[in-house]
Parts: sequence; C-alpha cells; structure tokens
Amino acid sequence: MSQTGNILVIGAGIAGMKASLMLAGASNKVYLVEKLPIIGGKVIKNEESFPNLECSTCMVAPIQQDVLQNPNIETLTYSVVEKIEGSSGDFSVVIRKRARYISLTDCIGCGMCYEPCPVSLKNEWEENLIDKKAIYVPCSGSLPNVPVIDSEHCLRLGGGEDCSLCAEACAFEAINLEDTDEILEVNVKAVILATGSATYDLSSIPDLGYGTLPGVYSPMEFERLFASNGPTLGEITLRGSDKVPESAAVIHCVGRRELKYCSAVCCMYSFKFARFLNHKIPSVRVFNIHSDICVPGKSYQSFYRNIEGADTGMLYTSSIADVSVSENGSELKVSYPDAAGSLQDLNVDMVILAAAVIPDPEVTVIAEVAGVDLDQQGFIRTVADGSGSMETSRKGVFVAGTAEGPKDIQSSVVQAESAAGQVMDIVTSQAAGS
Amino acid sequence: MKEFEMQKSEQDKKLRAKVGVYICECGPNIAGKVDLDRILADISQLDDYQDVELVVRKYGFLCSAPGKDFLEEEIKTNGFTHLVIGACSPRDHDSTFMGVCKKTDLNPYLYRIVNIREHCSWVIDEMEKATEKAESYIRGGIARVLRQSELFEKPLDINPDVLVIGGGIAGIEAALSLSGDDRRVFLVEKTDKLGGSALGLSGIFPRQGEVVGKKIESVMQNGNIRLFLNTRVDNVIGFLGNFEIELVSGENAEITDIMTGAIVVATGSDLFDPRESDNCSYSESDEVYTSLSIEKMFKAENGVKLRSGKMPSSVALIHCIGREEKNYCSGICCSCMMKLACSLRSQSSDIQVTEFYRDICLPKKEDQERFTEAEAAGVSLIRIKDISVKGTEVSFQRINGEKCEESFDMVILAPALEPSADTEYFANLLTVPLDEFGFFQEVHRMTNPVGTSTDGVFVVGTAHGPKGVSDSMQFARASAGQILTRLIPGEKLIPEVAVTEILEAYCTGCGNCLEVCVYGAIYSDDGRGISVVNEAVCRGCGNCFGSCPSGALRTKHFTNTQLYREVDEALR
Amino acid sequence: MEESAEFTPAIVGFLCNWCTYAAADLAGSSKLELPPSFTVIRVMCSSRIDHNLLLSTFFKGADGILVAGCHPGDCHYGEGNYYARRRFALLKQVMATLDLDPDRLQLSWVSAAEGKRYAEVVNEFAEKIKELGPNPIKNSTRF
Repeated sequence: MSQTGNILVIGAGIAGMKASLMLAGASNKVYLVEKLPIIGGKVIKNEESFPNLECSTCMVAPIQQDVLQNPNIETLTYSVVEKIEGSSGDFSVVIRKRARYISLTDCIGCGMCYEPCPVSLKNEWEENLIDKKAIYVPCSGSLPNVPVIDSEHCLRLGGGEDCSLCAEACAFEAINLEDTDEILEVNVKAVILATGSATYDLSSIPDLGYGTLPGVYSPMEFERLFASNGPTLGEITLRGSDKVPESAAVIHCVGRRELKYCSAVCCMYSFKFARFLNHKIPSVRVFNIHSDICVPGKSYQSFYRNIEGADTGMLYTSSIADVSVSENGSELKVSYPDAAGSLQDLNVDMVILAAAVIPDPEVTVIAEVAGVDLDQQGFIRTVADGSGSMETSRKGVFVAGTAEGPKDIQSSVVQAESAAGQVMDIVTSQAAGS
Repeated sequence: MKEFEMQKSEQDKKLRAKVGVYICECGPNIAGKVDLDRILADISQLDDYQDVELVVRKYGFLCSAPGKDFLEEEIKTNGFTHLVIGACSPRDHDSTFMGVCKKTDLNPYLYRIVNIREHCSWVIDEMEKATEKAESYIRGGIARVLRQSELFEKPLDINPDVLVIGGGIAGIEAALSLSGDDRRVFLVEKTDKLGGSALGLSGIFPRQGEVVGKKIESVMQNGNIRLFLNTRVDNVIGFLGNFEIELVSGENAEITDIMTGAIVVATGSDLFDPRESDNCSYSESDEVYTSLSIEKMFKAENGVKLRSGKMPSSVALIHCIGREEKNYCSGICCSCMMKLACSLRSQSSDIQVTEFYRDICLPKKEDQERFTEAEAAGVSLIRIKDISVKGTEVSFQRINGEKCEESFDMVILAPALEPSADTEYFANLLTVPLDEFGFFQEVHRMTNPVGTSTDGVFVVGTAHGPKGVSDSMQFARASAGQILTRLIPGEKLIPEVAVTEILEAYCTGCGNCLEVCVYGAIYSDDGRGISVVNEAVCRGCGNCFGSCPSGALRTKHFTNTQLYREVDEALR
Repeated sequence: MEESAEFTPAIVGFLCNWCTYAAADLAGSSKLELPPSFTVIRVMCSSRIDHNLLLSTFFKGADGILVAGCHPGDCHYGEGNYYARRRFALLKQVMATLDLDPDRLQLSWVSAAEGKRYAEVVNEFAEKIKELGPNPIKNSTRF
C-alpha cells in the first residue's frame, strides 16, 4: 500500500499552509479548507512582523503562491467543514463550498466588476475602516486574487432586484449569479485544525472607550492603518479625519485580568506599534502604559530595549484594571494609577488597546464538528500531557497554531511542523499495517 | 572543454531553432491596451535572427484549460525548440506554462514567460507606448530564450536514517518521533546517561520527572534507536539525504562510522553563572543556591535545608539573574520560581518566602495559575527596579523607588539559560552559524525555526534558545515533521535545478564564493585548486556570482549572456 | 534646454524575484502609472547583480539603473541584499571615475507589499534621470 493518503487541513493561515505544504511535499493529497475567500490568515494583515520588522507579505506571499500552485493541495476557499465522521486513518468529511459566484479558473482578477456594483458595505477584513462593494476582494494583493459576492447584501442575490452590473462588466464570463453551494465528500486519514484565534472584545470594557471614542483603536485596526495596502494606503490618520496623531498611548494587557492568562504576543506588538508610529510620524510622542513586560525567548528583549526610551515612553501602572480613557476636548485623556498607586492623567490623540488573544468565536462549532475537547480557556486542547504532541482528544485529529492557544508566528510554525510529522506517522504506519 | 562543447551544441540547436511566440490577450487586460496585431506583424517580420523560424500567435486565455491544451498541441505539432509566452507575471503562471512544456518534448527551461500585463498594459496608459513596450519585452524574451539551456532535474537517492546529538529531553523526543521500521535513529549522548537537564527537574516538577523516566524507558526498548552513550561526534560531511559521520565512544575512543540523511542537534544549554553578574557576590559557603541545585536538593531531601541541616525560616527567590547581561528573557524562570515558592510553602508554612521580580513573564496560558497559586500560598511578591545580592543580604529598590535592605536565611537565584559550552564546537563541525547570543541560528526565525543554513541539520530544544520542557519537545517534533515529510524511505529528493556552476578553466580557487555562500553549497577542491558547487545544496540565489573576480561562475538560467540579451533589447 | 525636455531616458530595473518583483506586480494590479522608458529585468536576488552587468548596461546606453530588492533583513536567501549593498557602495565610487554620475545608479529596498511605493520609487528615479540628461558614456569607445 502506498505511504500516502488524503489529509484534511482546516484553516489556511501560516500554520495550516505550512502543514499543507509539508504533507503535499510528501505526496499526500491535502484538502485545505479556508472559510474566508482568501488564504494567508492573520499574518498577512500585519505589514511587518516583530521582532525584525520583517515584511510579512514578502515572507508569506511565496508560501501562499506555493500553496495555490501545488498540484497535491486542493485549496477550498470560502468553504466550511460540516462533518468529520469515522476514526483515525479513515475519516469521512463533508465540506460545503459556499457559492462564490465567481469562477476561480475564469477570473483573472482585473477588478473591473467592483466599480459598477451599486452596493457599499463595510469591509470587515479591513476592520471596517473602509468600504467595499458587494462584489469584492478583501484587500489588494489578495490570494487567490478572485472576488466573491456577499450574497446577503447583493441587490440581486439578497434583495431580489434585477441587477447584474458586475456580470455585465466582466469580460471573462467569470461571474455566475446562479452559483450554488456545493457539497464535497472526501475521505481522509488525518485532520489538522489550524483555525486560528481572535482578539478580545474591547467594547466589553466600556471604561476604555473602544467603540465610543473614535480615537481608540484595536490592534488589528492599527495594523491595517499602518499597512501600505490598507484602507489609508499606510497613512496613519485619525478615524474620520485627515489629522495625523501627534501623540499616542498603547495600553497593555487589555483583557488579561478578565481571561486570567497572558497572551505572550501583546507586549511585542505594542512595542512594534511604537516603532511604526515613529517611523511614519517622526515628531510623534508615544507612551506604553504597561504592567509586566513579557518578552520571552532569545530575540524579543533586544527589540524591547531598542524601542524603550527611543520610540516610546514607558509608563508603569500598578493596575491595568483601573486605567480609563475619556474625551478631553479634541484629545483623549488616559488615567492610570502609577507605581505608587496615585492616578495620573495623560493627554493623547490616539489610544491603541493591546487586546488579548482569545479563541476564535466559532471554535465551539469547529470543536463540535471535529469532535474534540476545548481547554479551560476555550482553545482546542491537546492531550500532550507533558510531551510535545499536537494530538487532540480525538485520535487522528491534530491542532496547530493559535487555535491551540495564544502564540507567535514561530511557535505556530513549530506546531504545524510537529502536527505534520504526527500525520506522517499515521499515514506510514497504516501503510505498514496493511 | 566541456563549456566549449556545450556552447557548440547550443549553437547547433540555434541553427535549427524554431521559436513559438504566444501572446495571451488576457481578455481586454492585454488586448485592450496593447495593439497585439501590430506586435504579431512586427515580430513575425523580425529579421534579427538568421536561421531562426518564428511562429507568432495570440490567444484569448492561455492559462485556461483550453488555452493550455492549445499550447500543448502547438508545441507538439510545430516541434518548437524554444517557447516565449507574452502574458502576465511569472509569479502567476510561470509554473502553469512550465507544466505545459513538461507534457511535451520541450525542456521547460527553454521556455520564457514575458510579463506584458503588470509591466505594460496595466501601467502604461497610452496604447502606442504600451504596444512599443510590450514589443520590446517580447523581443527581449526571444533574445533571451535563444540563450537559455536545457536543464534537468537530478533526483538524489537518500538515506532516511537520522543522527540525534544530545540525549536530553529534546533529543529523546526527536528520536522517539523519528524512529520506525524503515528509519533508524542514532542517538548520541556525551555523558553516561540520558535525560539531560530535565533529570534535575523532578524535585519540584514530579510529573515532568515521571514523563522523562518513561521516555528514557521507551528509548531503551526501541529496537530502531541505537544509543551511543559516552560518545562524541567527531566528523561530519554531507548534506540533506546523505551525511557521513564519525562517532568516537568511550575511553578507548572506539570509532563508529555511520551514514544518515539528517542530523538533529539537541545539545541543550547551560545556566548562567550568577557570579558573572555585577549584582551578585557570594561564596561557596554562603546559603546561596541556583534554581537547579535547589531542585536537586528537593529531589534528594524532599525539601530544602541549610548547610547546618536546619530548615530556613526565610527564603528569598530572585528572578532574572543574567537577564540584562544576556539581553534576553529566558521565558521559563518566572513559572519555575513560583512553583518553587509554592513547594517551599508546602514544605512548611514556617518558611517565609519572598519573591523579587522585575516582570512576571508567564507566556503559557496554563502558567498563569502559578501566579495565583503563589499569591494564595502566602508568598510575598515584590516588584523591583533593581537588586543586588551579597551573600544572603539582599538590597533592592521597589518599583515606586523606595530602597530597602533585607537579610534572609537562604537565597535562591534563577539564572538565565545560556548556550552550552560545546555549542561552538558543533557550529564548526556542522557549519551552522551562531546568533548574536551564541545559540544556533535558525534559517528563518518564523517560517523555518528548526532548520539551519545547512539543510538537513535541524536545531531543537534549548540549543536553539531558552525554552521550557514542553516547547523543547515541540521543537523536537517539528524537526521530526520536516524529516518525515522530506526524507521518505525509497523516495528520491529533487534539488533545485537553476543552480550555479563553477567553470574549472576560469576558477583560481580564491575561495571568495565559499565565504559568501550562506548555504555552504560551495567547497574547495584542494587537489584541483578550485572551488566546486554542490548542486544538491545550492539554491541558485547567485550571491557568489558577484564575489567572483575571475568570471568562473555561471548562474544557470540567469547567466550574464541571458541577462545581456534582455538589456540589449531594453535599450534598443 | 529644449533637448532635455524631450529627452526620454532609458532605464533598466533589476528586481529581485521575491520582494520587489512582487511589488511591481502589485503596482500593476493596482493600475498605477509607470514610465514606459522603464524596463524590468527579473533576477532571483539583488546579490546576483555584479559590477560587470551594471557597467555593461551603462556602456550599452542605459541612462539609469535601478536595482531593487528586499529590505535589509528580509532577504529570501538570508543575507543576499547586504552583499548587494556593499558591492553597490564600491561601484558608485568606480562610476565617478568614469564620468558617470553615481546618482544614475540607485539601490532601493521595496517590499512585496509596497506596490504604491514601488511606483513612487520608479517614477521619482525616472524624473531624476531625466534631470541628469543622457548617459555621457553611451557607446563610448574609451573603455
């Protein structure tokens, strides 16, 4: 029997792509299922990644291309896994390929269809900082560079109106407004869950002003504001105006107390933001309001030391829970208890909240479909028990990346590689067994 | 000689060259902005090349399924010797058209894609100018393709076996994950027992001790793992798939030669010596200990005691020893110290435990409870700005600036992890660079953290950088993942094709290229006095090319002749 | 004066495959306007570009040469762009001795995400070369 098999990988972020490429390289057939219309995951939202401020696109785009061009990987974008039955070595999987309305083979990504679309919507991928049409790609440079129709908001598909402006604008007959969901049933020997994570719901802490004060930003909003392919083409301006912030505060550990764990990456991205601000706005004043600094591993502290003092003032607070943000004229007032516990005020134009990493909001659905347990924090639990195994509570189902818990890119890749190795064990031992 | 013959055969080929030039309309994306009919006419009449027959066509979508079939048929019926595609970016469809070539007799390296969409039709507004530009690019493509050579994949036989250096927890985990009926693992440990520094952990981490014990047992029982204790690795040559290694064992220096396809380096780390820090001074007789020695004491004595045999009534735990000197946070000490603090409190509630820390670093989601546990156990946690230790006298500055001094019965220091003493030896042996901290440098921090610049050599555990037991094991498994997916028993490896070669006649053996190659793909052939490229290792970046003073290097598929033809047409 | 107004410089851009070539693609798909006088030649890494290739390109008549690759630290091959940078510094000195304004050669770092910046760099460079006028050593027999 051949030492290869079909593998299901859910989630086409860095962990899912990496695992898929490795397994495909070993001649396995990989079904890579991604719920978004594009692959790349969270990393491609960050223009530069810490600690070397490396260009994420330069790092990830070749990986995305490899995935899309690999003959052993069937990339199913805009798709969800609905059922995983059976057992290790022999799972039967049901995948729903949601109607995209645009042919992946016929569309060449020219973008002529966006302009005529009369619908205007918020672009969630861009953190709602910009609008999109009902036919859209999330950002320029999307891979695959093929749009999708938001059927709920499309005048025709959602509203029953007689509009086919996009299809008329398409010179390639790539748009099929009659497209329907497709169900794909496949058999696989093993499953890797690389479904990623989300960030803490900032509006649940009203004192910090997120959602009510326009100058308060989530970390992902700020990443997109900095990105040269983002909503402002990389100009850091305050929400709803052209004003360039003269000062900014990054508040650390938002959600840590509530969640009772440290997300391990927030300190680093907070320092990165300070560098970003200084890089784009040389006269800016930046403050990091922090408690414990968590910069583990060999290459993080030197980044912090380079930034501390140079790019940002470091303001220690004895209690993040008592930090609040309020309006003060045209500025924002940040109040925080200092080392001695006395309340200090800081006036800034912009506030960025370093939100904790939390499980993907759909993790319970994923866990139910995959039949795996979650841990105390709501991430997918491994049964490692003192070893480095990525196996979940269900045999033959593995987890990798931030679906397992908060972590940086390096650790996500390490887990993806570990999981790929364990999948190989199943594939080869089954071959030997039969 | 060889070079001359090669050129001659290429000239022969050019005499009979028949070049297919196919231009993709890409719907209106190219056809709407570029006057393709004019280009077709101009290129067909091109008289730059005697004895070259040009077939020039356009097509709606060459990348579509019918487009690819059309192209395949055209190559076959026309018997093209070369092919130029005027279309989009090679990043989109180079592999598509190479795939079409592979279905025919046309060597895929005798084809060239020319990007007249991203470089012309999409960025030049005036049709006249866009057309001229596209024509110039296509002429460049024809000129270049005629200078391209056939290149062939050279599959290599591989050895699936693996050498694991270091019998600590990372090495053990790697060996266990890798061994199988068709893959042997040689596990080499320099001391007389397995377990490494994890052995010392069992004092306050009994569960981890148990895990290590079980894993050692599994190694002993595993028929596919060959264990070499008291052994050092003396000589290594080779590359991914084929390494030759000499092991030297025991007092009698018994030599074993082995061959493997990969090497996993799990040589571990040492503890920073606190006395190297300006802030710590103490003598052997002082009641000052490191975290590791306390763990050993715990294991032996089931608790701590002073040299007098008495139990201490006050213990200071001091974090971050060596953090500033080393300029990194080891990431595991906070968790260990808090666990230790709780263990001390459960040994006896009469022991007053004070922890001095700068930042609490608990990056693992499950570790956060250590902090709550320590607080609940009545450990006094003091955040400091600065601290110094003289014997058991501790002077410190609190975060609010207040300066204090306190004396303790016992002081326990948490020193940073630092590269182990033999890291440099292995770096030289395996030609793997070290990073600024003296740990092994990974090939890419994020996308390939266990790989090294010597492909086939992987670094795991604390040899890569400070990390805890579970991360060490995860790195070990990651290396196993790479090896299991790349070195498959019975399968061959296909190295990069468009690599660099060195022409013996021109090479002076100066060794410049050897110095600049980050992959270690070039070695010196002292017998012939020249440098030689190992094509199995070369990745074809061409960095060596710029370093060669005698023009002996040739970057296949990106030769100067090829690039000059593109330049000529660009400047026509 | 009138002559330089009509002067259309011939510019060659050697772009690294991984970063700047990708940025050029992004500029293309964003339909950013680029000067028709600019010709792209793709190489795998900016470190592949040697002095001979650049000088020959000048002798063959290029009015300007742009070499662009990944930002320092981002090289797909580890550190190729650092070597490119060093070799460049050297060549700029050589250029001065050839009566060739060193500004005719530019090394820029443009990442794969910087499509807009790519267009800016290319357009600014084209403007600069326009101001510098025609290459004085074009087809020169002096060398």
